Amino acid sequence: MIRNLKEVNDNNFDITRSAEEVRNLSFNDQVCLGCGICESTCPVEAITLNAIAVDARHRLSNDIYFSGHEKIAQNFHDDFDVQRVSIDESKCVLCGMCSGLCPVDALVLTIDDIPIREIEAYPHYNAFSEIDDDECIYCKRCEVACPRDAIVIERVLPSRADLVTGEIEVNEDDCIYCGVCQELCPAEAIVVDNETGKESIVIDTEKCVYCLVCKKSCPTNAIKALCRACSYGEYDLDPAKAVVTGNSIIDPELCVYCGWCEGVCPTDAAKHKKPFEGSIEVDQEKCQACGACVDICSCNALAFPVSSGPGSRMEHVIANNDYCVKCKACAKACPNGAITVKRTEIDHTPIQSATWNEALDAIKD
Amino acid sequence: MPKHIASGLKYLAAVKLKDAGESHQAIANELGVDRSTISHYLNGSNLSWNSIDVARTITELTPRDFLVMAEAVFDEPEQSRKIVNICRERDFEVTIADSCIGCGLCVNACSMKAIKLESLKAHADSRQCCGCQLCEDECPTNSIKILEIE
Repeated sequence: MIRNLKEVNDNNFDITRSAEEVRNLSFNDQVCLGCGICESTCPVEAITLNAIAVDARHRLSNDIYFSGHEKIAQNFHDDFDVQRVSIDESKCVLCGMCSGLCPVDALVLTIDDIPIREIEAYPHYNAFSEIDDDECIYCKRCEVACPRDAIVIERVLPSRADLVTGEIEVNEDDCIYCGVCQELCPAEAIVVDNETGKESIVIDTEKCVYCLVCKKSCPTNAIKALCRACSYGEYDLDPAKAVVTGNSIIDPELCVYCGWCEGVCPTDAAKHKKPFEGSIEVDQEKCQACGACVDICSCNALAFPVSSGPGSRMEHVIANNDYCVKCKACAKACPNGAITVKRTEIDHTPIQSATWNEALDAIKD
Repeated sequence: MPKHIASGLKYLAAVKLKDAGESHQAIANELGVDRSTISHYLNGSNLSWNSIDVARTITELTPRDFLVMAEAVFDEPEQSRKIVNICRERDFEVTIADSCIGCGLCVNACSMKAIKLESLKAHADSRQCCGCQLCEDECPTNSIKILEIE
């Protein structure tokens, strides 16, 4: 008669129920924002957001605060080795509400191995991030800016030989294999062998930058410069147009739709849409600059202002509304209640269930 | 012994179907036995009255106990589902409130396969309900109500 075959794996963050359908809930701490939406919406109260605010107070009381913010950030995970949320597997009924409402798929419910984001009945945020390969110039600014290391830009450079304005040719009848050009060549493109009987001179066209140092230094005028710009000389070199090509990849698991890529992109190739819209404000009166919010923020939307000099003490943090995803993890982490985040708009696909709609409305301000 | 009780339950089901106007062949198909066995049952031969008495007592237990006994007696869940559905004396009305979260625990709990998930909400077919209330017990949001129809 016992029909619920719930299995929990060792780390307690992967629950499977095998019955009419196989349901599996898994949690990925690497992806989790720490926003607590799952905790507030779980209908059976099985999820607890681990107290990051308590951690911040602990640090303040232990003087770690005064030893420098960099150290705090560095030691954050070592000192407080806890997952951002805990799931009580005995309470969890695998309804999937946490997964459906998680803005970044840190919690994933699969039903018969299909994640609910691929099942139409469940809600999906209309959030996305993408890079248009037609517009992308592979400058890698987004790769550097991405706070989650979700972007990989693979750049394919044109051949250097196609970019230089000409080629060098050696007239071996005149060359005496003295090696002067080899020693002077700044690009190390020339190899001369002057051993008797095996004399040779080779110019690596991939390395040569057509600086003409070899021509100017050759004691026997054995070097001929063939210019492309003026179609000078015997060759028709037909230079190919030098274009940088490549691939831009956003890891959908890591991306949190913060918009840094779009913010730094010089060509409008990167586009994004956030799951939530709203506002974030830091009350400068209340802020003690402890850095808890800076640590927890997955979007680099909170930062200390640039230091005004060595030894200067940080007075407060600043919030950047453009890159904030309104997840509220910072507001929960702040020990002084200095951060106010408002979630005014939630864009998701329509669903029919009254309870699920209520849950989605409940995470809106 | 369980085999005899199973035969008794099949007998009771056969009588009910016969009363509903089904032919011997149709009853045989429904219960998964051959037609001549059904004919023997209905002619009152090949079966001890004791088995039938025990079987009748089982059908008169509370719906949950009836279901549990039927599941213990028959190997195939499909068969116990059929017998319970034919032999039960009472009808039930299942209502599922909007507070349903679509977790599917009731779908697993229901031996009668009366509940399905659709658009993140459970939907029950009252005609299939045997009144065991196992789903009610499982439901984390107390969204299921089962009432007997008088």
